[in-house]
Amino acid sequence: MTPQAQIADYLARLRASLVGMTVSEREDIVEEIRMHIRERASDPQSSLDEVLEGLGAPELLAEQYRTGMLVQKARTSRSPFLILRAALRWATTGIEGFLVFMIAVVGYATGGAFLLLALLKPFFPQYTGFWVGPGQFSFSFRMGATMTNPQPPVHEVLGWWLIPVCLLVGSLSLALTTKLLQFLFRRFRWKVPFASVMRTRPAMMAL
Amino acid sequence: MAQLPISTPELESSDKWEAQMRKGCLEMAVLASLWHGRLYGLEILRVLERDSSLVLAEGTVYPILNRLRTEGLLQSQWVEAEAGHPRKYYELTASGRERATQMAETWTQFSAGLGRLIGPVTRK
Repeated sequence: MTPQAQIADYLARLRASLVGMTVSEREDIVEEIRMHIRERASDPQSSLDEVLEGLGAPELLAEQYRTGMLVQKARTSRSPFLILRAALRWATTGIEGFLVFMIAVVGYATGGAFLLLALLKPFFPQYTGFWVGPGQFSFSFRMGATMTNPQPPVHEVLGWWLIPVCLLVGSLSLALTTKLLQFLFRRFRWKVPFASVMRTRPAMMAL
Repeated sequence: MAQLPISTPELESSDKWEAQMRKGCLEMAVLASLWHGRLYGLEILRVLERDSSLVLAEGTVYPILNRLRTEGLLQSQWVEAEAGHPRKYYELTASGRERATQMAETWTQFSAGLGRLIGPVTRK
Protein backbone atom coordinates (compact mmCIF):
# COMPACT_ATOMS: atom_id res chain seq x y z
CA MET A 1 0.00 0.00 0.00
CA THR A 2 1.43 3.40 -0.95
CA PRO A 3 1.71 6.12 1.73
CA GLN A 4 -1.10 8.08 0.10
CA ALA A 5 -3.36 5.03 0.06
CA GLN A 6 -2.44 4.31 3.68
CA ILE A 7 -3.44 7.85 4.72
CA ALA A 8 -6.63 7.71 2.65
CA ASP A 9 -7.55 4.39 4.25
CA TYR A 10 -6.92 5.74 7.77
CA LEU A 11 -9.03 8.85 7.14
CA ALA A 12 -11.83 6.85 5.50
CA ARG A 13 -12.03 4.58 8.56
CA LEU A 14 -12.00 7.61 10.85
CA ARG A 15 -14.77 9.30 8.85
CA ALA A 16 -16.87 6.13 8.87
CA SER A 17 -16.54 5.86 12.66
CA LEU A 18 -17.52 9.45 13.40
CA VAL A 19 -21.21 8.65 13.46
CA GLY A 20 -23.80 10.88 15.11
CA MET A 21 -22.12 14.11 14.01
CA THR A 22 -22.99 16.69 11.39
CA VAL A 23 -21.11 16.52 8.08
CA SER A 24 -19.39 19.79 8.94
CA GLU A 25 -18.18 18.51 12.35
CA ARG A 26 -16.99 15.26 10.81
CA GLU A 27 -15.10 16.87 7.94
CA ASP A 28 -13.51 19.40 10.28
CA ILE A 29 -12.11 16.58 12.41
CA VAL A 30 -10.93 14.55 9.40
CA GLU A 31 -9.23 17.59 7.92
CA GLU A 32 -7.41 18.38 11.17
CA ILE A 33 -6.14 14.82 11.43
CA ARG A 34 -5.14 14.86 7.76
CA MET A 35 -3.03 17.99 8.37
CA HIS A 36 -1.50 16.44 11.48
CA ILE A 37 -0.46 13.34 9.53
CA ARG A 38 0.89 15.46 6.69
CA GLU A 39 3.01 17.63 8.95
CA ARG A 40 4.27 14.80 11.14
CA ALA A 41 5.06 12.59 8.17
CA SER A 42 7.09 15.37 6.57
CA ASP A 43 9.51 15.10 9.50
CA PRO A 44 12.42 12.99 8.18
CA GLN A 45 12.89 11.46 11.64
CA SER A 46 9.48 9.83 11.71
CA SER A 47 7.83 7.33 9.42
CA LEU A 48 4.19 7.28 8.39
CA ASP A 49 3.67 4.07 10.33
CA GLU A 50 4.93 5.76 13.50
CA VAL A 51 2.64 8.75 12.93
CA LEU A 52 -0.43 6.57 12.44
CA GLU A 53 0.53 4.46 15.43
CA GLY A 54 0.81 7.62 17.53
CA LEU A 55 -2.73 8.57 16.58
CA GLY A 56 -4.03 5.13 17.43
CA ALA A 57 -6.62 3.09 15.56
CA PRO A 58 -9.06 5.39 13.74
CA GLU A 59 -12.01 3.66 15.41
CA LEU A 60 -10.57 4.39 18.88
CA LEU A 61 -9.78 7.97 17.92
CA ALA A 62 -13.36 8.43 16.72
CA GLU A 63 -14.61 6.85 19.94
CA GLN A 64 -12.84 9.56 21.97
CA TYR A 65 -14.41 12.30 19.88
CA ARG A 66 -17.84 10.71 20.19
CA THR A 67 -17.56 10.27 23.96
CA GLY A 68 -16.52 13.88 24.42
CA MET A 69 -19.35 15.20 22.27
CA LEU A 70 -21.93 12.86 23.79
CA VAL A 71 -21.11 13.93 27.34
CA GLN A 72 -21.02 17.58 26.30
CA LYS A 73 -24.44 17.31 24.65
CA ALA A 74 -25.85 15.41 27.63
CA ARG A 75 -24.90 18.27 29.97
CA THR A 76 -27.43 20.54 28.30
CA SER A 77 -29.81 18.09 26.66
CA ARG A 78 -33.26 17.25 28.02
CA SER A 79 -33.47 14.04 26.04
CA PRO A 80 -33.58 11.02 28.39
CA PHE A 81 -32.34 8.88 25.51
CA LEU A 82 -29.21 11.00 25.01
CA ILE A 83 -28.57 11.27 28.75
CA LEU A 84 -28.94 7.52 29.18
CA ARG A 85 -26.48 6.90 26.35
CA ALA A 86 -23.96 9.25 27.96
CA ALA A 87 -24.48 7.62 31.37
CA LEU A 88 -24.04 4.18 29.81
CA ARG A 89 -20.77 5.30 28.22
CA TRP A 90 -19.66 6.63 31.60
CA ALA A 91 -20.76 3.41 33.31
CA THR A 92 -18.24 1.42 31.31
CA THR A 93 -15.37 3.36 32.85
CA GLY A 94 -15.74 2.68 36.56
CA ILE A 95 -17.83 2.49 39.70
CA GLU A 96 -18.61 6.21 39.69
CA GLY A 97 -20.07 6.02 36.20
CA PHE A 98 -21.93 2.85 37.07
CA LEU A 99 -23.66 4.58 40.00
CA VAL A 100 -24.65 7.49 37.77
CA PHE A 101 -26.04 5.04 35.24
CA MET A 102 -28.05 3.28 37.96
CA ILE A 103 -29.52 6.63 39.06
CA ALA A 104 -30.50 7.26 35.45
CA VAL A 105 -32.09 3.84 35.03
CA VAL A 106 -34.06 3.97 38.31
CA GLY A 107 -35.17 7.60 37.80
CA TYR A 108 -36.32 7.15 34.22
CA ALA A 109 -37.89 3.74 34.89
CA THR A 110 -39.91 5.23 37.77
CA GLY A 111 -41.04 8.18 35.65
CA GLY A 112 -41.85 5.92 32.74
CA ALA A 113 -43.85 3.54 34.94
CA PHE A 114 -46.06 6.35 36.28
CA LEU A 115 -46.67 7.70 32.78
CA LEU A 116 -47.57 4.19 31.63
CA LEU A 117 -50.10 3.89 34.44
CA ALA A 118 -51.75 7.14 33.32
CA LEU A 119 -51.86 5.81 29.78
CA LEU A 120 -53.38 2.46 30.77
CA LYS A 121 -56.12 3.83 33.04
CA PRO A 122 -58.57 4.80 30.21
CA PHE A 123 -58.21 1.37 28.60
CA PHE A 124 -58.28 -0.80 31.73
CA PRO A 125 -60.06 1.34 34.35
CA GLN A 126 -60.96 -1.61 36.59
CA TYR A 127 -57.46 -3.00 36.73
CA THR A 128 -55.48 0.20 37.04
CA GLY A 129 -55.51 2.16 40.23
CA PHE A 130 -54.17 3.01 43.62
CA TRP A 131 -55.41 0.46 46.09
CA VAL A 132 -55.10 0.90 49.80
CA GLY A 133 -56.16 -1.31 52.60
CA PRO A 134 -54.88 -3.36 55.49
CA GLY A 135 -51.41 -4.49 54.63
CA GLN A 136 -51.47 -2.82 51.26
CA PHE A 137 -50.42 0.63 50.14
CA SER A 138 -49.32 0.66 46.56
CA PHE A 139 -50.02 1.70 43.06
CA SER A 140 -50.73 -1.32 40.97
CA PHE A 141 -51.95 -2.44 37.61
CA ARG A 142 -53.64 -5.79 37.11
CA MET A 143 -55.00 -7.41 34.03
CA GLY A 144 -55.32 -10.89 32.58
CA ALA A 145 -57.65 -13.88 32.91
CA THR A 146 -56.20 -15.15 36.13
CA MET A 147 -55.81 -11.88 37.92
CA THR A 148 -58.43 -10.28 40.07
CA ASN A 149 -58.79 -6.98 41.80
CA PRO A 150 -58.02 -6.87 45.49
CA GLN A 151 -61.06 -7.68 47.64
CA PRO A 152 -62.51 -5.37 50.34
CA PRO A 153 -61.41 -3.95 52.67
CA VAL A 154 -58.63 -3.16 50.14
CA HIS A 155 -60.07 -0.48 47.85
CA GLU A 156 -59.09 1.87 45.06
CA VAL A 157 -58.93 5.52 46.18
CA LEU A 158 -57.98 7.76 43.28
CA GLY A 159 -60.42 6.83 40.55
CA TRP A 160 -59.89 8.99 37.48
CA TRP A 161 -57.64 11.28 39.52
CA LEU A 162 -55.05 8.58 38.97
CA ILE A 163 -54.35 10.01 35.51
CA PRO A 164 -53.32 13.57 36.54
CA VAL A 165 -51.52 12.27 39.64
CA CYS A 166 -49.50 9.76 37.61
CA LEU A 167 -48.80 12.31 34.87
CA LEU A 168 -47.55 14.76 37.48
CA VAL A 169 -45.44 12.28 39.44
CA GLY A 170 -44.07 10.68 36.25
CA SER A 171 -43.15 14.02 34.69
CA LEU A 172 -41.56 15.21 37.92
CA SER A 173 -39.55 12.03 38.18
CA LEU A 174 -38.27 12.37 34.60
CA ALA A 175 -37.48 16.08 35.05
CA LEU A 176 -35.71 15.62 38.39
CA THR A 177 -33.69 12.67 37.06
CA THR A 178 -32.64 14.76 34.06
CA LYS A 179 -31.67 17.72 36.24
CA LEU A 180 -29.75 15.50 38.65
CA LEU A 181 -27.83 13.80 35.85
CA GLN A 182 -27.02 17.11 34.16
CA PHE A 183 -25.70 18.30 37.53
CA LEU A 184 -23.59 15.16 37.90
CA PHE A 185 -22.22 15.51 34.38
CA ARG A 186 -21.21 19.10 35.11
CA ARG A 187 -20.04 18.49 38.69
CA PHE A 188 -17.81 15.60 37.72
CA ARG A 189 -16.77 17.03 34.37
CA TRP A 190 -13.08 16.56 35.14
CA LYS A 191 -13.69 12.96 35.96
CA VAL A 192 -15.64 11.94 32.88
CA PRO A 193 -12.90 9.89 31.34
CA PHE A 194 -11.87 9.24 27.81
CA ALA A 195 -10.87 5.96 26.29
CA SER A 196 -7.45 7.41 25.75
CA VAL A 197 -4.20 5.94 26.85
CA MET A 198 -1.42 8.27 27.77
CA ARG A 199 2.11 7.25 27.13
CA THR A 200 4.62 8.33 29.69
CA ARG A 201 8.32 8.45 29.38
CA PRO A 202 11.03 9.59 31.74
CA ALA A 203 11.22 13.36 32.10
CA MET A 204 14.78 13.45 30.80
CA MET A 205 13.61 12.01 27.49
CA ALA A 206 10.87 14.58 27.22
CA LEU A 207 13.31 17.47 27.32
CA MET B 1 15.98 -17.52 26.75
CA ALA B 2 14.21 -14.21 26.66
CA GLN B 3 13.60 -12.61 30.01
CA LEU B 4 9.99 -11.78 30.71
CA PRO B 5 9.25 -8.26 31.92
CA ILE B 6 8.71 -8.12 35.65
CA SER B 7 5.16 -7.08 36.47
CA THR B 8 3.68 -7.24 39.92
CA PRO B 9 0.22 -6.18 41.04
CA GLU B 10 1.87 -3.39 43.07
CA LEU B 11 3.68 -2.04 39.99
CA GLU B 12 0.55 -2.25 37.82
CA SER B 13 -1.48 -0.51 40.49
CA SER B 14 1.15 2.22 40.75
CA ASP B 15 1.14 2.68 36.95
CA LYS B 16 -2.64 2.94 36.90
CA TRP B 17 -2.58 5.50 39.68
CA GLU B 18 -0.02 7.60 37.85
CA ALA B 19 -2.00 7.38 34.60
CA GLN B 20 -5.18 8.46 36.38
CA MET B 21 -3.39 11.35 38.05
CA ARG B 22 -1.96 12.53 34.74
CA LYS B 23 -5.34 12.20 33.04
CA GLY B 24 -6.89 14.31 35.78
CA CYS B 25 -4.67 17.28 35.06
CA LEU B 26 -4.61 16.93 31.27
CA GLU B 27 -7.38 19.42 30.65
CA MET B 28 -5.68 22.01 32.83
CA ALA B 29 -2.39 21.41 31.04
CA VAL B 30 -3.97 21.90 27.60
CA LEU B 31 -5.64 25.14 28.70
CA ALA B 32 -2.39 26.35 30.29
CA SER B 33 -0.41 25.61 27.12
CA LEU B 34 -2.60 28.17 25.32
CA TRP B 35 -2.17 30.86 27.96
CA HIS B 36 0.33 32.90 25.92
CA GLY B 37 -1.48 32.73 22.60
CA ARG B 38 -2.93 30.56 19.89
CA LEU B 39 -1.37 27.23 18.91
CA TYR B 40 -2.31 24.35 16.66
CA GLY B 41 -2.57 20.72 17.78
CA LEU B 42 0.98 19.62 17.08
CA GLU B 43 2.39 22.76 18.72
CA ILE B 44 0.30 22.06 21.83
CA LEU B 45 1.76 18.56 21.99
CA ARG B 46 5.27 19.97 21.69
CA VAL B 47 4.67 22.63 24.35
CA LEU B 48 3.29 20.03 26.76
CA GLU B 49 6.27 17.81 26.10
CA ARG B 50 8.79 20.63 26.41
CA ASP B 51 7.37 22.49 29.40
CA SER B 52 6.06 19.58 31.45
CA SER B 53 6.59 15.87 31.71
CA LEU B 54 3.27 15.25 29.98
CA VAL B 55 3.91 13.20 26.89
CA LEU B 56 0.65 12.37 25.18
CA ALA B 57 -0.31 9.84 22.60
CA GLU B 58 -0.89 12.12 19.64
CA GLY B 59 -4.44 10.92 19.17
CA THR B 60 -5.32 12.03 22.69
CA VAL B 61 -5.04 15.77 22.31
CA TYR B 62 -7.39 16.35 19.37
CA PRO B 63 -10.58 14.95 20.97
CA ILE B 64 -9.81 16.98 24.10
CA LEU B 65 -9.35 20.15 22.06
CA ASN B 66 -12.62 19.43 20.28
CA ARG B 67 -14.47 18.95 23.56
CA LEU B 68 -13.02 22.11 25.12
CA ARG B 69 -14.09 23.98 22.02
CA THR B 70 -17.66 22.70 22.19
CA GLU B 71 -17.71 23.69 25.87
CA GLY B 72 -16.83 27.24 24.85
CA LEU B 73 -13.46 27.25 26.59
CA LEU B 74 -11.54 27.41 23.31
CA GLN B 75 -12.20 28.84 19.91
CA SER B 76 -10.61 27.60 16.73
CA GLN B 77 -9.76 28.99 13.35
CA TRP B 78 -8.27 27.53 10.20
CA VAL B 79 -5.28 29.57 9.08
CA GLU B 80 -3.34 29.16 5.87
CA ALA B 81 0.20 28.46 7.01
CA GLU B 82 3.58 29.09 5.43
CA ALA B 83 4.07 25.33 5.39
CA GLY B 84 1.69 25.25 2.44
CA HIS B 85 -1.29 23.71 4.14
CA PRO B 86 -3.86 25.12 6.55
CA ARG B 87 -3.60 24.60 10.29
CA LYS B 88 -6.36 24.69 12.85
CA TYR B 89 -5.35 27.09 15.58
CA TYR B 90 -6.88 27.15 19.05
CA GLU B 91 -7.03 29.98 21.55
CA LEU B 92 -8.59 30.52 24.94
CA THR B 93 -11.93 32.26 25.18
CA ALA B 94 -12.73 34.48 28.18
CA SER B 95 -14.41 31.47 29.83
CA GLY B 96 -11.36 29.36 29.02
CA ARG B 97 -9.06 31.88 30.73
CA GLU B 98 -11.36 31.93 33.73
CA ARG B 99 -11.44 28.12 33.89
CA ALA B 100 -7.65 27.86 33.49
CA THR B 101 -7.17 30.33 36.34
CA GLN B 102 -9.58 28.45 38.60
CA MET B 103 -7.90 25.14 37.83
CA ALA B 104 -4.42 26.54 38.40
CA GLU B 105 -5.39 28.04 41.76
CA THR B 106 -7.07 24.82 42.88
CA TRP B 107 -4.07 22.81 41.75
CA THR B 108 -1.60 25.09 43.53
CA GLN B 109 -3.50 24.94 46.82
CA PHE B 110 -4.00 21.20 46.51
CA SER B 111 -0.39 20.39 45.67
CA ALA B 112 0.97 22.72 48.37
CA GLY B 113 -1.20 21.07 51.02
CA LEU B 114 -0.36 17.59 49.84
CA GLY B 115 3.31 18.51 49.58
CA ARG B 116 3.42 19.31 53.29
CA LEU B 117 1.79 15.99 54.06
CA ILE B 118 4.02 13.82 51.90
CA GLY B 119 7.23 15.74 52.64
CA PRO B 120 8.48 13.22 55.22
CA VAL B 121 7.49 10.30 52.94
CA THR B 122 9.62 11.23 49.94
CA ARG B 123 13.01 9.60 49.50
CA LYS B 124 15.96 11.81 50.40
